Amino acid sequence: MAERTQVTPVGDVRRPDMAMERSIRLPRLRPATLVWFTMALILALSFFFPVFFMVTSSFKAESEIFATPIHWLPYDFQGLAQYQKAFDQVPLGRFFFNSTLMATIDVIVTVIFSAMAGYGFAKFRFRGQRLLFFAVLATISVPFQILIVPLYVQIFNYGWADTYAGLIIPGIMNAFGVFMMRQFAYSIPDELIDAARIDGAGELRIFWRLVLPLLAPAAASLAVIIFLFSWNNFLWPLIVIRSQQLQTIPVGMTVFIAPHNGQPQWAVSMAVSTMATLPVALLFIFLQRYFVAGLTMSGLKG
Amino acid sequence: MIRFAARKPSTTSFIARRQRWGLYFVLPTVIFFAIFFLYPIIMGIYYSLTDFTLLRPPTFVGLQNFEDLLKDRLFLKSISVTLGYVAGSTLPVWILSLFAAVVFFEKFPGREILKMLFFAPVLPSLVVVATIWIVLVNPNGLLTAVLRPFTGLAEIKWLTDPTLSPITMILVHDWTAIPFYMLIWLAGLTGIPVDLRDSARVDGANRLQTFFKIELPLLRPTAVFVASISMINAFQAFTLQFTLSPGRGGPVDVNTTMGLLIWKYGFQYFRMGDAAAVSVVLFAMIMIVTALQLGLSRGDKFSIQ
Repeated sequence: MAERTQVTPVGDVRRPDMAMERSIRLPRLRPATLVWFTMALILALSFFFPVFFMVTSSFKAESEIFATPIHWLPYDFQGLAQYQKAFDQVPLGRFFFNSTLMATIDVIVTVIFSAMAGYGFAKFRFRGQRLLFFAVLATISVPFQILIVPLYVQIFNYGWADTYAGLIIPGIMNAFGVFMMRQFAYSIPDELIDAARIDGAGELRIFWRLVLPLLAPAAASLAVIIFLFSWNNFLWPLIVIRSQQLQTIPVGMTVFIAPHNGQPQWAVSMAVSTMATLPVALLFIFLQRYFVAGLTMSGLKG
Repeated sequence: MIRFAARKPSTTSFIARRQRWGLYFVLPTVIFFAIFFLYPIIMGIYYSLTDFTLLRPPTFVGLQNFEDLLKDRLFLKSISVTLGYVAGSTLPVWILSLFAAVVFFEKFPGREILKMLFFAPVLPSLVVVATIWIVLVNPNGLLTAVLRPFTGLAEIKWLTDPTLSPITMILVHDWTAIPFYMLIWLAGLTGIPVDLRDSARVDGANRLQTFFKIELPLLRPTAVFVASISMINAFQAFTLQFTLSPGRGGPVDVNTTMGLLIWKYGFQYFRMGDAAAVSVVLFAMIMIVTALQLGLSRGDKFSIQ
């Protein structure tokens, strides 16, 4: 069927149903299209199901979670009761605050300094440039697992263990960001920068007023993926933070995996999971273009 | 490395002075990486040669830690656990994510919304992923119920059975990984010139033929990338094993990956020297993968310049 690519007339134009199909521009449903659609549907539903289960279960009564056959929607709708229970048991508001603080600082610092360094590497010629660039680039291929022991010792010696400084500072820069911004800074026309220089603008001003706005689309993609990585980061906050008040959501919510006072509370854990995923989901829905571009680039250029 | 500008007021020194701004722009980043990457890497290698518990200063012991690791049953097991996990979270992921990309590259009604639904597993953190799946893989939970017509089993010990547990980890991992790599394959497919594919079809090639003869060879750079990144990520496996497997790496250590072992030695037993030694071994293994990637991607247009 697939080898038939020549456009063939679709039925009789005089037939009203066919005319209708044409007028509202429905794609012609060839058998191949139906096959692709069915495969996509199966893939989408099977991969989406656990997420659907998470959201619906957060509104169920505890006894419904393991119901077989499955309750597709809550029979005993709980409203936000499971969400309330989560806030009653742990300082969830603090976790959200800490995660937001860490992600915001990570995003702002990473984007600005990556843009600065990327611009510096792309548009200037100075001694040691290649060496410094390869040194920064090499850190991309260093797995974080390798760093945790010495980095923790270092943070511990600074007196930063179990503090915001220890939590946030080691993560505020990202070599991939530098690499990505350098690629985009190359495409800025030299004439534009030189024109600004002739107008007497200082180098810092040129960067801030001219280069950074030109890098904005790339910066948006970088910002979105840095937010995703920072928000979902687990290993480093787990190691560096001891006190509950300073924990981020991924680490703080692990208490919900274990039964609370001997009582399983899966509905509550689904409510926390839903809340923890909501910011990323909103970002994906509203900034999908940047989201996909960022993830793909971190892919292609990693 | 920093060269001070020549003093004579010529145009060249003016340009040199301006070019030095490049250095100023990269300096904050370079200093940061020196402090928080270069220094800890060097210290990590040093700690691997010491007896170090964080409470006492490190004492140099040479290669003693590595010799001990060779006799360490848990370490040797963690290598095979890690390699098994790498195998299970790469090959199925490559094939299924490529298949999904081919499907979502086609044109059909509702494609964008179905793609969004398919992509959803990438969004939650691995802790959330573990929390969802702990419920789904409960011994008499939904996954057991779905499979009951085929297995006839009333309950399946997805997490506590030593044989099944690593497979469950791989299943859960692959669920989040496949949609992510689909995105990268999709970018690769989009990069293939349309006329190449069209001319193949005009020449009478069917969908399977165009895929294997035209698209797959042109996807080589993407394939090298997907293969290496997925392997490097799998080598570092930690979060799922920490949160999803019973007793953090159990049962009977069948899910104790090298990443988890670093945490156990370093942050449960405070044997920093041993933890650093495991890190160094893991680093070496990952470097082999990176070297293979660089070798295979030489000359590709996506390779790092």
